[in-house]
Amino acid sequence: MSEQDNDAFEKRSRALFQDSVEGLDMRIRSRLTQARSAALEAAATRRPWALGWKIWTPAAGVTTAAILGVVLWMGSPLHHQAGTLADAQSNFEDLDLLASSDEGSADAMDMLQDDIDFYDFADKDANPGPAA
Amino acid sequence: MARFGTLNTAWMVWDNPAPTPGGAAVLEYTQELEKFLAEIERRAFRMAQVALRDPDDALDVVQDAMLKLTRNYASRPSAEWRPLFYRILENGIRDLQRRRTVRKRVMTWLPGPKEDPDNEAQDPMENVADAAPAIPERLMQAQAMQQLEESLRALPTRQREAFMLRNFEGMDVAETASTMACSEGSVKTHYSRAVHALREKLGEVW
Repeated sequence: MSEQDNDAFEKRSRALFQDSVEGLDMRIRSRLTQARSAALEAAATRRPWALGWKIWTPAAGVTTAAILGVVLWMGSPLHHQAGTLADAQSNFEDLDLLASSDEGSADAMDMLQDDIDFYDFADKDANPGPAA
Repeated sequence: MARFGTLNTAWMVWDNPAPTPGGAAVLEYTQELEKFLAEIERRAFRMAQVALRDPDDALDVVQDAMLKLTRNYASRPSAEWRPLFYRILENGIRDLQRRRTVRKRVMTWLPGPKEDPDNEAQDPMENVADAAPAIPERLMQAQAMQQLEESLRALPTRQREAFMLRNFEGMDVAETASTMACSEGSVKTHYSRAVHALREKLGEVW
């Protein structure tokens, strides 16, 4: 097979292909035009949507980071330690109430001081020790 | 195919009264893109049809290629559109051929309706007489093209791609290599083998 024959073959096949392209019927041509229009329309309508994504991406990133932070905090030992601290705070508040010098608690302490003999008697009566 | 039958709306967003900033540039490259697609679409369709045989399948892959190009690569330099478009098209053709092969394998395992030998060739268009009497020369050309198509379908995929891109689409070796994502040497080899195989096959009838 010579190079010249190859050239002739290539020319002929190209010409045949070109003829078949030009001979496409109207139905196919019309559908290709519709396909082209649809592709250009899709590209055009997609653009604002894509722009919207560009705008919302940083906000979505910040929100995700915040959610992730909360999730990690809830699962971390620090969160449990914070709970313990809160309990301790509650105990302090109880002590504070007991030790506070407001009117009610001062009265109670006075009453305890006044009837100390009675409480001593009651204690001995309830828990009688061995006879002396 | 349903995809092609539903375009009744006005299709250009550029008809809107208030263009966005930079709209002029977008309009310009959209017009350029439309010109490019209009110029290329028929050849692309015929090349897809050569590979797939079925015109509806060919229309589908061409439309998909157009959509992917306009959606993903419209902003690329226009010189890159042709290799990109044909690469997308060839990928689409290969995907469809692969799906066909899988479907065929599955169908052989499934019980189906028995084939009626009298019921082949049910395409009604085949029975419609041509409106104009066929000119012998035209008829011979059509037959020659049909033979060429059949021979091309029998070639290995890469050889067929190289031949169609170089010969039908008129791409040079570098552009073909870029489209096929291979080296220029590979393109030359595939093309040379394709020409050799086709000539061997068609030599007697051409």
